[in-house]
This record gives sequence, structure tokens and C-alpha cells, in this order.
Amino acid sequence: MISDVDHSVAEKRNRNVREDDIAMSCRVRLARNLAGERFPDWATEADRGRVFAAVSDALRVERPQVRVALIDGFDEQERDVLCESHLISKDLLGRPTGGGVAFESDKAYCVMINEEDHLRIQGFTHGLDMQKAWRTADELDTALEKHLKFAWSPQLGYLTACPSNVGTGLRAGAMLHLMGLRLLGEIEPVIRGLERMRLLVRGVCGEGSEAAGQIYQISNMDTLGTDESFIVSRIQRICAEVVRQEHNARVRLIRESPLVLVDCLARSLSVLQNARLLSTSEALEFLSAIRLGAALKLCTRLSVSDVDDMILVMQPGHLQKWHGVTMTSEERDEQRAFLLRGQMNGIRLKCGAVKAGR
Amino acid sequence: MKCEFCHKADAETAILLETDGEVKELFVCRNCAAAAEGAANKADGAHSASDPVGPPLPLMGMILDAAFEIVGRAMSMSDLTCPSCRITRNEYRKRSRLGCPACYEAFAKELDAAIFDLHRAQQHVGKAPQQAQADMRRRTIEEALSEAVRNQHFEEAIELRDRLRKLDAEKDGEKGQTA
Ligand SMILES: [Zn+2]
Ligand SMILES: [Zn+2]
Repeated sequence: MISDVDHSVAEKRNRNVREDDIAMSCRVRLARNLAGERFPDWATEADRGRVFAAVSDALRVERPQVRVALIDGFDEQERDVLCESHLISKDLLGRPTGGGVAFESDKAYCVMINEEDHLRIQGFTHGLDMQKAWRTADELDTALEKHLKFAWSPQLGYLTACPSNVGTGLRAGAMLHLMGLRLLGEIEPVIRGLERMRLLVRGVCGEGSEAAGQIYQISNMDTLGTDESFIVSRIQRICAEVVRQEHNARVRLIRESPLVLVDCLARSLSVLQNARLLSTSEALEFLSAIRLGAALKLCTRLSVSDVDDMILVMQPGHLQKWHGVTMTSEERDEQRAFLLRGQMNGIRLKCGAVKAGR
Repeated sequence: MKCEFCHKADAETAILLETDGEVKELFVCRNCAAAAEGAANKADGAHSASDPVGPPLPLMGMILDAAFEIVGRAMSMSDLTCPSCRITRNEYRKRSRLGCPACYEAFAKELDAAIFDLHRAQQHVGKAPQQAQADMRRRTIEEALSEAVRNQHFEEAIELRDRLRKLDAEKDGEKGQTA
């Protein structure tokens, strides 16, 4: 086993960093509404029930394997699990009766019913294969259109509850882990550059401008005036460019600021190995650093997907479902710390030379 | 590393530049980064001076309000109502969500300005439902047919009529298959 890392080895490793280590997943969603029906925010319970029935009938015909259900039919933990897995939005959970969800076990797509629009057709992929996510959503949309009459006008395209989605109704986004840029203090100019290109940049977890765990969702702002494949390839191209920047940042981090990197990894690891109480956002901060360490192959026995699993199961819904009980927030913090102590047991950093050399 | 703009000062920060649809990353000095930002803001300012950085989504309420304010006052409308869903302009403004698809027509005058501010575009480009595509094709032929009849171009009119019949036959055929 290699216990010492000189710079050239670390750099060679970094060259092996796969795109997926930075680009966690992609999503393409299409907003659709039924002609002649009120949008969900103004619909009556009967209206929403009618829309749900029409959409679920169409889905069952076109996708026999689909599981369609009303949100009311899930208990609170299951709802949180759907939300934490990024299949559905928090917005959908806060809505009155009639909200629904449809997906298959492979979770390549998920349709939200009666969220802000009647349908939000979402295609998902791992990594940065946005074209595939687009094809999934596009094909499902074309299939459903055989049974449902979508509101559409020649001038404004697909008509949506909010004018900010009108036209293609398409939002294409990637979830990027930008921990290297953050450690080098370069995240702000990157975000400002993206916003100047009229892209939306949001933290995936947590509120406010600072993204918890340095996981960002980058997506298009404009939905009218350019066609779907242009929007998708533009976002994919720009996200690939950000991935390249993050990759460069990681190379420079190892070469120019190894102490900053190792210090961050060591602190994060020792908290995860020793803490007795951990909130979700705290845990995410430290796991995010360990995720970088795993991508750079600087942690023994840990792969990036191991860390991704931990990021998922330590969240409130997953944690409670795993234990099969409802817990108070303090009990969760204790269980979370316990879970992560176990997961991190025996993990060590493989960066003696990086540390000692400086 | 030297700044990739001026090649004099040390590069301190990376900026993303989009030129002719291509995205480039440049390592530049602090001065050149500030200059690039100023230029980008100015370019944005050409579209809307009140929105220097561009991202209007959180500001959507304000954009809509402004559009309503200007158009509403100019037209001195009291409280316009959508004939289909019956929500009024004031109700819509409160939630910044439209009531139904027909609202786009009912509030078109006010919405057009807001939609342009949001997207910097006015015309949809891209996907259309199959049904809408067929309807549009049909409307084009129908218009050409009445034009041909008006101008007494009967041969052309007969040809156009046959194309319409063929469309109807295809539609019936599809229905027969799916039923
Ligand atoms: Zn310079
Ligand atoms: Zn309406």
C-alpha cells in the first residue's frame, strides 16, 4: 500500500479523477400543463383530482412499470426520503391534496403531478450526460402527449403557471461538487461568471448563497427563444467547463497548497470519527471535504460513491427510515454522529509526504 | 503565472468569458478581472439598466409588478379578469402565478413586457405537441385554399382540398388504430 504521496504521484492520480467525481448528476425537467385546466395554485381540490387521474392514466398506459401515488399516501419519512433523493421538490410536499409523484425503480425519470405546474417531467442521469437526461424527459413527454392535451401557443410555446418557465418549459441542470475551488477561495468569481451568462447557480442543500457542502446546481435561466437541444448542449458545455476549472483547482491545490488540503481533510476526518452530535449541515460540510479526499485517492478504503451514500443516508428522512423510528432532532444528531463514526472507523489519510514535505 | 489579459501583473483569479457561444477560462490579475466585470455589466445594462448582474428570477415579482404598473396605468384598467378561470389581475399579481393557460391571452398586454424582461425573447422556438403541429399545417393549407378560391386558381384549390381530405383520412386512420 502506498502511504507516501509525492507531488507527481498525486498529480497522476488527479488526472484519473473521473468527471463523475465532480459532476454528481444531471436533471432535465419539462413543465407541462393541461389545456383548459386551472394551474395547481388556483385549482380546486376537484380540479387537482381530475388532473391527477388523467395524468396517472396516461402514465400507466405509456409506462406499465410506473409507480404513481398521491403524496398524501406516503408517511412523513418516505416523503423526506423522496425529497432527499432529489426526486421531488420541497414545494410539492407543502401543497394541498392532489399532489402526486410517478417514477420507476431505476429512477431514471420522475414526474411530479400538481406541483407548480400540472406536470414536471424530469429525466435524471449520473455524471454529466445531460443529453441522456434530456432524451428521457423528451420521450416521456412525447408519449404522454398522445393522451393529454398540453397547453401550448405558437408564440409562447408551452404555457406554464409562472411566466419564467414559458416556452420550452425546460430547465437543464447539473449538480457539481466544487470543493477545490472553494478551498482555493475561487468559487465567487466562477459563480459571478456563470450568473453573467444568465445561468442559475444555487446551493443544492441549505439556504442562502453559501452552498452547504459546496454542492451547486447550475441550470439555465431562460426558457423562451432557443430550442431544447440548444439549451441542453449549452448548459452541458458550460458545466463541462466548470468541471475543468474544478479539476484544475484540485491540481493546483495539491501542487501549491497541499497543507491547506491536508489540514481540511484531517480536521474533517477527526470530527467525523469523534463527534457525538452532528447536525445535517455540519455532517455535510465534513463529508464534502472527505468526498474531495476520496476523489483524490487520499483516503484509505473510501470511494467517492461510498461518500455519496453516506451523504444520502445521514439525512433526516433516510436516517429515520433506516432505523425504522421517528426521532427528535437531537436524537437524529446523535444517531447521525454514531452512524458516521462507524463508517469512518479505521479510515486514514494517505498524505504523509504531502504534509511532511512542506 | 502572468495575467492572460495584460501579461504584466500576476494572475490572481480565474474568470469565465463567453464569446461567440464559446466559454473560456482566463487567469487574470485583479485589475483585469475588475475591468472584465465592468464590461460585462455594461453589456447587460444595454438590456436593462436596473439589473446589472442579470439573474432576474428572484426579481421576477418586481419585473411583473413594473410591467403591470406601466401598462396598467397607461391603459387605466381597473381590474381585468381572465374569462376562463376568473382570476383578476390583482389576484394574479399577489401570487405571481397565472390562473390558467388562457390567462396568457387575457393579460397579454401586460405579460408581453414581463416575458421579454424575463427571457429577452418573445417567440417560442423548439418543440410543439404533435396535435398542435398538425393543426398548424392544416391551418396553413386552409388559408392557402381560400386564397386560391378567391383568386379563382381552381386547379390549385382542388389540389389543396385533396391534401386536406388526405389529412382527415390519416387522422381517422389513427383513431381507428388506437381505438
Ligand atoms: Zn492583467
Ligand atoms: Zn385564466
